[in-house]
Amino acid sequence: MLPSLGAIFFSLFGLFAAVPVQARSSTGNSVLVVLQPDLKRDNFTIFFDNLEKRGYDLTLRTPEDDALPIIRDDNPTYSHIILFAPDIKSFSQDVTPQSLVTVLNAGTNLIVALSPTQSPVFTLASEFSLILPPPSTPLISHFPARDSPPSVIPVAVPPKHPLLTPNTPPVWYSGIPFAHGNNPLLVPILHAPAESFASDTDSDAGAEALFDAAERGGEGLWAGSAMGIVTGFQTRDNSARVTWVGGIELFTDAYAHKSLPSGEKSGNEQFARDVAAWTFQENLVLRIDSITHHLLNETVPREHYTINENIVFEAHISRYDSERGWSPYSGLHDLQLEFTMLDPHIRTALLPVTSKLGLYQAAFRIPDRHGVFKFVLDYRRRGWTILKATTTVPVVPPRHDGYPRFLSAAWPYYAGAISTSLGFFVFAALWLAGDDKERKKGKATKTE
Amino acid sequence: MGLQPLFLSLVCFIAAAHAGQLAVQSPRLIVTGPDGGQLRSETLPLTKRPDPVTLGPSDTLKLAFQVTEQATDNGVQPHQTFLRFFDPTTGEEGIQPVKTSPSGKAKFELNMAKPPSSLPPSGAAPLHVTLLLGSFVHSPATIDLFDLHVPPSAPPPVHSEEAFYHPRPELSHTFRSEPNPPPRLISAFFALLVLGPWAVLFVLWGAIRPGVPHLFSPSVLSFLLSLGVIEGLLFWYWIELRLGQILLYGAGAATLALLTGKQALAGIAERRTRSH
Amino acid sequence: MAGPKSSSNASKRAAATAAATPSKPAPSSSSAPAPASASTVALHTLWAAYLDATPSRLKLVDAFLVFLVLSGVIQFVYCVLVTSFPFNAFLAGFASTVGQFVLTASLRSQVNAKNRALFKDVSPERAFADFVVGSVVLHFFVFNFLG
Repeated sequence: MLPSLGAIFFSLFGLFAAVPVQARSSTGNSVLVVLQPDLKRDNFTIFFDNLEKRGYDLTLRTPEDDALPIIRDDNPTYSHIILFAPDIKSFSQDVTPQSLVTVLNAGTNLIVALSPTQSPVFTLASEFSLILPPPSTPLISHFPARDSPPSVIPVAVPPKHPLLTPNTPPVWYSGIPFAHGNNPLLVPILHAPAESFASDTDSDAGAEALFDAAERGGEGLWAGSAMGIVTGFQTRDNSARVTWVGGIELFTDAYAHKSLPSGEKSGNEQFARDVAAWTFQENLVLRIDSITHHLLNETVPREHYTINENIVFEAHISRYDSERGWSPYSGLHDLQLEFTMLDPHIRTALLPVTSKLGLYQAAFRIPDRHGVFKFVLDYRRRGWTILKATTTVPVVPPRHDGYPRFLSAAWPYYAGAISTSLGFFVFAALWLAGDDKERKKGKATKTE
Repeated sequence: MGLQPLFLSLVCFIAAAHAGQLAVQSPRLIVTGPDGGQLRSETLPLTKRPDPVTLGPSDTLKLAFQVTEQATDNGVQPHQTFLRFFDPTTGEEGIQPVKTSPSGKAKFELNMAKPPSSLPPSGAAPLHVTLLLGSFVHSPATIDLFDLHVPPSAPPPVHSEEAFYHPRPELSHTFRSEPNPPPRLISAFFALLVLGPWAVLFVLWGAIRPGVPHLFSPSVLSFLLSLGVIEGLLFWYWIELRLGQILLYGAGAATLALLTGKQALAGIAERRTRSH
Repeated sequence: MAGPKSSSNASKRAAATAAATPSKPAPSSSSAPAPASASTVALHTLWAAYLDATPSRLKLVDAFLVFLVLSGVIQFVYCVLVTSFPFNAFLAGFASTVGQFVLTASLRSQVNAKNRALFKDVSPERAFADFVVGSVVLHFFVFNFLG
């Protein structure tokens, strides 16, 4: 899968380039909605109309209808897929867990609805580190006291969440909860209420069964606020997004219109719009436009650098905005840059430069180790596009004449070398100019 | 599951009225040590939060209460009798169902030597313990019981890539320390000292008094001069010449020295054989 | 260094006196200073013999050798006591004295009349030419390495 990563990126950007101006998504406006037969478009008018208002081009089909395949010749045919068929046990050939993973890896975004009914989608969910409760155990909550069944639950929306409109009112929910596996690619969006739990009993007499199930089951009880009910997932390689929703009713007109126990309007419409906007790459979308490096006080990259030199790394980053499209973005304050050879030798902040929008810089001194180093920019934050860029640069030792010379510490050695040479010269002069006196002298001593 | 059955059940449900609020009666807390001795025993007031309960690594906490209908004080068995352990500092949460008899009597035992899996990973902060009572026929109740200090557990497992999702500690390279040059005065002093042996040399040679009768003979002088040129070139090479240059100039000077040297040494040899 | 300055005859006489002196008090006084005096006497004798028997041309060489030894020792002391950095400069400076010493000592043995039998085919001029070539090559490497 790795070699195709670049290709995926290019196709992503290619798609973007081909998108008409009115589209709100950064990756395209074609949406396939797979709707199970007992559901009608009329059940979701508000949700679907909102998508169309935002420039999306919706195509509806049933799970068995393969006239509009989600994948053709290994190429995804739609930019986004909404899979509203949680109770369907048999799909047409083109919709399989494998094909869904394939289109995801090709950059297609998915919204997948689940229900207490066991279906092929269940198996797919477990591939995304979601641990689903046993079939036919919906989420119920006796809290708060209200005039609706325990399985129709008002759920508070987190007031501050990166991909949700702040202070969205509670939403009506009905469906299943799921536990989150230990996977950092998961982006929890909505948690179950702390008082809620999954149960298949429908009267107080079921208390004992509930207790026994919790004691017996290896997985324990699907209960409490650690459970997710709406959870996103972002793929590692191309940041394609999947949002898992434990119950399809969240998106219905009925729930959007249903008043909360407090009497106010439910947040379903707003929440569904936010979830779709995030899933379809409308927001929290970033890209690296370019990276470069150069010596401090220079502007052009070098073929290689010398140890101990001061170097500057630069990255240009843009953010997608559903209104204005791509524009340089200086709002990231926790970017980090690594300079690695096997291990990171340097990890430093890559900070926005105030003088130029979208420009981030880090300056540091190259370690006194030579070899092939890599600049590594690897930015992962839940909900945001993963930013990854690496570039290789050789670091060499100084040339033989690149070392400092005529150091005061070496004065005695310089003096010694010069002194020897000079001594040799004077000695040679004395030797050559001198006479072979020894013989005469020797004779003289003898005669004495 | 379609939507129609759901709405149907919703309509049915509205018809059923809540039969009253759930409550607990005489909740009793007992903490025993590893030897079975009672460390603490009290009836929880419920109106205000009692002193935090502290459990040692092998202490046991026992909790007993009766679930009742508030209006009638009759014992009832609710659908949901859950203890919730919550660490507000980490967000870690554990839910523990409690077995309730049809008359509403419930008992819970927490043995720290064998903590249940529902007990969440705990740190220094106490766990809030809450009792959740829920029923299909009664109004639910949330009862704050007490704060619980338990020995800190191992932290929850963290994915190996989790660190990438947060700012990571900065790393800086430790450079080999630049050798500290000694004071220039000391270097200069030793440089002078290295030149010192010249004095010795002059004294010794002065004592030997070597004669230089042939210093100005043309052959010797030219040889000496070419040697001087070579040594001068080598010094110049050290200062600034490149290898190519020194090899070029050096070849010239060496040729010169070879010729003059041959002549000079031939002259000396002749002188020597003549004096024999 | 008064020794070399005085004439060979004078030093011979001095040596003779020095040799005679310790023999006189030996029987009367204790034997304690005797070993020191004996070694002094031996040194003096050796020194006198050197001054007497060595041709002045070889003394010229010996003086140069002393000069080289002293230069080398001082650089070594500086390296040990103060700093060995930059090490290549130390190696170049120190090796120049050592190399020059070896070349000069080799010249000395080749021109020494006592070794004539050993170097029958090597004339003193040839020996000197070798010495010059060797020295020039040595100096080239020294300056190359001095940094």
